[in-house]
Parts: sequence; C-alpha cells; structure tokens
Amino acid sequence: MTFGTADTAGPAHAVLVEQAAAAAAGVGGVAFLRPGLADRLRSVRHRAANGTGGAPAPTPAPAGVRMTRPDADGPWHVEIHVVALRRARTVDVARAVRVAVARRLEALAPSQPAPRITVTVTGLV
Amino acid sequence: MTAHTDPPNRASAHGDDERLPCGRLLSRAWEDREQRPDDTHPRSCPHCRDAVRELDRLESAVRGLRTEAADNPAYDAEPLTRRIMDVVRMELRPGRPLPLGEPAEDLWIMEAVAARTLRAAAETVTGVRAGSCRLLDAGPDGAAGAVGVRLDIHAPADAPLPELAAQVRERVWEAADHELGLVVAVVDIRVTDLVPAGTEHGQEGRTR
Repeated sequence: MTFGTADTAGPAHAVLVEQAAAAAAGVGGVAFLRPGLADRLRSVRHRAANGTGGAPAPTPAPAGVRMTRPDADGPWHVEIHVVALRRARTVDVARAVRVAVARRLEALAPSQPAPRITVTVTGLV
Repeated sequence: MTAHTDPPNRASAHGDDERLPCGRLLSRAWEDREQRPDDTHPRSCPHCRDAVRELDRLESAVRGLRTEAADNPAYDAEPLTRRIMDVVRMELRPGRPLPLGEPAEDLWIMEAVAARTLRAAAETVTGVRAGSCRLLDAGPDGAAGAVGVRLDIHAPADAPLPELAAQVRERVWEAADHELGLVVAVVDIRVTDLVPAGTEHGQEGRTR
C-alpha cells in the first residue's frame, strides 16, 4: 500500500495531502494515522540498519492519506486511514475526520469541486 | 457521497503484510511464534528468527513503560501493553472493510477491528468465552449497509443456553451500536463448547 505517495505530481498535491493529514490527525478521538506502529518500527529499523551517516533521508510523505484525481477537472478522492481511540464512538470519530478534512480542503481550494472523502478505521487503541 | 457498495481499495490481498525472504508472511512468523511452538521452521529460519526478534524487542519496549510508572505502584501497564500489541497484530491481519454508520456515508472499519470489539462485548457475559467472530454481508433481506455477525462462544455448562445466547446477542448489539456505530442486521450465536462452571478464569482482556 502506498499511502502518502503522490499519485498526482506537483506541490499543490503534496500540500493538500499534508493539510488533509494534519486536519485528520487533529480530530479528537484520532490516535494516529496509518502507517501505524508496525510501519514506524520498520522504518526505524531501516534507518538503524543503514546507519546515520551520509545524506539525510527525504522527508516522508504524510501517513494515512492518499489523494487521487481520476479526472483533472474533477473532484479529488481522499482516502484516509486512521487508528481511533476506543473511548470515543468510532463512527463519530470517522464522521468528524471527514468534516475536518473537507473543511480544510475547501479552505485551501475553495473553487475546487467538493472532494469525495473515504475514511477507514484500521485500529482502535 | 457514495454508497457502501464501493468499499475502499486495498493494495493487495495481504495489505501491508511483508513477505520474508523464506516465503512466509511476517504476520505468520509472528503468529507461529505465539501459537505454534512445535513448528520447527521459525527456529531454523534466520529470517523468521529476525522477525520474531523484532516483535520481542517491541514487546520489551512496551513493557518498559512500566518503569515510567514505577512511582505509582497502583498503575497497571498490562492493559496498555496488550492494546499496543493488538494494534500491531491487527495492522497485519485487518480483514476487509465494513460499512460504518449510514449506507451513503463512505465510512469504514476493518473487519478485525470490529470483530475484536464484538468479541470483547460477548465476554462481558459471565462465563462466556468468545471464539471465531465473522462479519458478513447481511444479504438481500438485510438492511442496506448492515452486516451479519456470526459468533462462536464457549458457554458455562450450567447456564440456560437460550437465555445466555440472548444476553450475548444483546451485548454484541449494544457494542456494535454504542461503541462502533456499526449497523448490524442479525447476530447468530453458536455455542461450540460447554465449559465446566468455575473454570472460566482470566477472561478479562483475553480477546484478540
């Protein structure tokens, strides 16, 4: 799975992904966005195995968000994977994520058609 | 918005799972370490041994959180440890996405995550141990976007089974609605074993 990888090149896309991730992560009831614990551990292991010398690693793309636009003039499809907190009702967290991301993207690109936003809860902690 | 007939894509049948050079999936190496101690492959294969060692390191690190809570003897880090390890396991075996909320909302929860919550709810009934929990499409007669729950349980031998099953069904339904927001059309309970009364120890938190 390549969440966070830009399917559409260009800084605008990267900014939108970053902002969507930030909006989702800021929602009450969200623990963190995918990739989660196992992926983070693997990346730490990878860095440790490659040592700390040499050129700095590129900044990783934001986790848990994929934005694609099948039609250049059409709406974005935003797919968000989150791990939610068990103490909150899961569907309410997912709804709040969708609202937060929609508002953030609308503020960034008010002239764009409303995106389709898919939220998937991949874990509860 | 879109209907729930179009679940989000998954990149591969194994999701984010990693295939080790020996051909085994990372999730299986971890699972075998815990559930198949007689399997000789994990002990002889360097790739599986490395993978298991990584899991051991994680578990040790998480258990080390206890040290941070040493000033508070009443603090029990075990539930936190268990939750973190559960998340790691679940990331590798997520199942398929199931609809959350109303049919057109385009909100989803992975099957393994929902099943764990429902199994835990079933085990709040005294003496009940939850086994397999499958979440299925409710079918053409079910409500749109609803799922059917098929849950196996071990029941206390001295319990009246119809009443016990009704109680479990109610707990599962409540958890699906109140904790998850998962629309459930039907809950089928199958009693797969009877456990002698008084032997059902250590239930709390054993659900995975």
